[in-house]
Amino acid sequence: MFRSLTCLWLFLTAATAVAETPLHVGIDALLEAQSDAPCSPCTDDASFVRRVYLDFAGRIPAANETAAFLADSDEHKRRQLVDSLLASDEFPRRLQQLLHVMFMERLGDHEDWQAFLLKAAQENKPWDQLVREILNPDPESPETRGAAFFYTKRLENYGQNPVDYPGLVRDVGRLFLGVDVQCAQCHDHLFVDEYKQVDFQGLFAFVGNTFIRRDVSFPAVGENPLTAELEFTSVFEQVPRQTGPRLPRGMSVAVPEFAKGEEYLTPPDKKNKTPGVLKFSTLKILAEQLPRAENELFTNNVVNRLWWTMMGRGLVEPLDLHHVDNPPSHPELLELLADEFVKHQFDIRWLLRELALTQTYQRGSAMPEGHAAASTIPDYRAAVERRLSAEQLARSVLTATGELDRLEPLTASFTAAFANTPRDPELEFVPSVKAALFVMNDDAFAECLEPREGNLTDQLIKTPDSGKVVDQALLAILSRPPTSEERDEFVEYIDGHADRAAAIQNVVWSLFASTEFCLNH
Amino acid sequence: MTNPRCKTWEHHLSRRHLLGAAAGATLGAAGLGGLLHPAVAGELKQKRKQVLFIWIDGGMSQLESWDPKPNTRFGGPFRAISTSVPGIQLSELLPQTARQMHHLAVVRSLHTQDNSHSAGVARIQRGDPKDRGVTYPYFGSAVARLLGPGNSGLPPYVWVKPGSGGFKHQDAGFLGPQYGALAFGDGQPPENLVKRNAVSDQDLEDRDRLRRSLNQRYAVGRPPRNSEANDYVFDVAQTLMQRRDLFDMESITARERDRYGRNDLGRDMLLGRRMLEAGVTFVKVNSYGWDTHGDNFNGHASLMPKFDQAFAAVIEDLHQRGMLDDVLVIAMSEFGRTPRINGHVGRDHWPEAWSLAMAGCGIQKGLVIGKTNDTGTFVDSEEHDIGHLFHTWFRALGIDPVKTEYNNDGQPLPIAHDDCHVIQEALI
Repeated sequence: MFRSLTCLWLFLTAATAVAETPLHVGIDALLEAQSDAPCSPCTDDASFVRRVYLDFAGRIPAANETAAFLADSDEHKRRQLVDSLLASDEFPRRLQQLLHVMFMERLGDHEDWQAFLLKAAQENKPWDQLVREILNPDPESPETRGAAFFYTKRLENYGQNPVDYPGLVRDVGRLFLGVDVQCAQCHDHLFVDEYKQVDFQGLFAFVGNTFIRRDVSFPAVGENPLTAELEFTSVFEQVPRQTGPRLPRGMSVAVPEFAKGEEYLTPPDKKNKTPGVLKFSTLKILAEQLPRAENELFTNNVVNRLWWTMMGRGLVEPLDLHHVDNPPSHPELLELLADEFVKHQFDIRWLLRELALTQTYQRGSAMPEGHAAASTIPDYRAAVERRLSAEQLARSVLTATGELDRLEPLTASFTAAFANTPRDPELEFVPSVKAALFVMNDDAFAECLEPREGNLTDQLIKTPDSGKVVDQALLAILSRPPTSEERDEFVEYIDGHADRAAAIQNVVWSLFASTEFCLNH
Repeated sequence: MTNPRCKTWEHHLSRRHLLGAAAGATLGAAGLGGLLHPAVAGELKQKRKQVLFIWIDGGMSQLESWDPKPNTRFGGPFRAISTSVPGIQLSELLPQTARQMHHLAVVRSLHTQDNSHSAGVARIQRGDPKDRGVTYPYFGSAVARLLGPGNSGLPPYVWVKPGSGGFKHQDAGFLGPQYGALAFGDGQPPENLVKRNAVSDQDLEDRDRLRRSLNQRYAVGRPPRNSEANDYVFDVAQTLMQRRDLFDMESITARERDRYGRNDLGRDMLLGRRMLEAGVTFVKVNSYGWDTHGDNFNGHASLMPKFDQAFAAVIEDLHQRGMLDDVLVIAMSEFGRTPRINGHVGRDHWPEAWSLAMAGCGIQKGLVIGKTNDTGTFVDSEEHDIGHLFHTWFRALGIDPVKTEYNNDGQPLPIAHDDCHVIQEALI
């Protein structure tokens, strides 16, 4: 099977030797060759325009944007829309939010961190460079120093508890390498043969000497010298072992010996509280060794996470459990993605564009009539419904109502209602009673439905033809025209209601509260 | 406080049993709150099985509670006292519970596998089954799945705890997020529980109907899980809006609040009881801060009275209301504490030999199961792992722990560790 796929791939490559086969063609070829079951057809334009706006602008399209796209008869309009959104200034902000939620998992937020992410997204900073700047933040660079927030937030004390270094080690492994070594802290992992205690301890040697710098007002991290290899014993074996700084699947770095007091190029100044400059900085080595093309865990982790972002499911699941006994669902595909991503200098925007151009991305999320409903098996025969982040929801609601200027005051309440608790990765769609109550009763949300000069509800109430009201409401909120059945039902409801304005508000509410609205489908 | 054995309102309650729901409604006006909600009377008639699971997080010391060893090497400073069951003694830190001993079964032969909090809490609450590459549900999610939500409209698994509330879907493991725990933090109702004045009851009804109709159309051809989960949270939200009275502490008499204790555990136990009365299938009440590595004895001297008061009160009340026969009550931690007293006058983690208490539904009354050796260091009878308890609890709830299996997308999975069995002497 693999061999025939490789042949196919070689054939594709050879056939287009002059112009290299675009990645999106290669992806579709690989997936199609593996699936003999019928696929959901390409999604209609309305679903596509909504999907790609949510992915690249972080919001649903406004009614006029949807209408313009539906009316466009250019056969290349999908590609054109992808390119124009990727070139717009909404894309960097969307990428910033995506990276923020991915890296911080709702632990906290800081303006310098956001500035770093936004700048990185605007410059389309290569992934390896981005990671390098996070792993060894440079306090001298005003543009990138906010990256230190990744560390400093995790180095904070929670109440009486000591700094959670094991938690920091875990997050470095999970988020940059796709390995969760938490359960290998005190012994080799009990269920994952590949994860050894030395993997945890080796990562710990890189980041276990860090502290929050108190001499500066921006997020910054200092390092104490690592003067010897870490000693550890398994709680099961009680045999003492050592490791220097070491990446999973990597080699231990030798720890140089310095005479006491000779560890620094520039010694720390206790008076000014400056941390000094180390001769042997483990963060510097981490930033050199981890984000490299040769580090398969690093490259596989990022392409798997970006694939998950666009397709709703990782090729490796869970995202942070890459190991030999948990192979990817499509090994050649993961390899192809990683190779091509490296070849394209870790270009995030390029990879997202290629993914958006695949047929796989553009399939419908519902199976056509006569077929069994799309299964949860990752065969990509149908698009996987994806959760919307709190940020996507807030922007989408206000795009629909035509009141994006009210975003600032509403963001916090949307985040409180729809974001997960800290440290709980936002991977699946997990509707909550809290969010339902927010949609039903919260004052801030209710205000979005109330008529105000020029907003959606106002416009709808002023539209005398109830059929047009329904058309407009669905286009604005669900980014599609109503089915005739829906149209009839809503019109009948509005016209049969004594209070037309109240009826229209109820219709608008039900559209916002619908499952269809709160998913990227 | 007046004599705890004679409270006038308890007589009222006994009378209510005789008079039935109508009297309940009348008494409701007398200010006894959610207790006498008409739905409660109906619930009592149904005899549906329920669970009250009291989780003592961090590790209660068995030596300062269920298995005292006074005047022994590791016994510590506290005495043992007699209980309502001749021959059974508990620590003097459980004076009120001692008077309820005739309702209780104490297990002194626990022997479990994990001595860490981080893994141990989940391992115990998931029943520590054989590893089959899946994440098992917590006991609450398991019971929610196996017994169902009943017809209260409330979620089947509710968690009353100090701190923040929210929905803890992770508890459900492979059962899927709908079997997670709805947590109420600090005795508070969730935010946004009150309908806005501008929205009429008719509007609410219309909105619900329109939303459902949209969702039904959307669900065609798609995996049902997302749509179902989304509809479910709106249903629960609506029920909670109707049952705001559950959180109204003002409607509870001062005397009743005193009986449970004016502290977080007392408050949460009282709310837990009201949730059971309202028909919630599984209520977990949580107490934190029991990890007494330092100063264990002063620690337990201040912690145990809170537990003792609230636990004894809830046992007494469930019995008075005739609910104890159908509510399984369990009080436990993730492990016990070391008999050896460490250099900080503390006790560390000890899964080797520890205790729990249970009562109610299907459980024998007034007995001790198993024993530890003279110094309390190890079990001196048959050892019982959490798997044995899961078997026993499921059986007590009328669920066959051997024949009943989960179906995880076609993969059959036992509901309790397949190498364990029920503790027969614990069952009626």
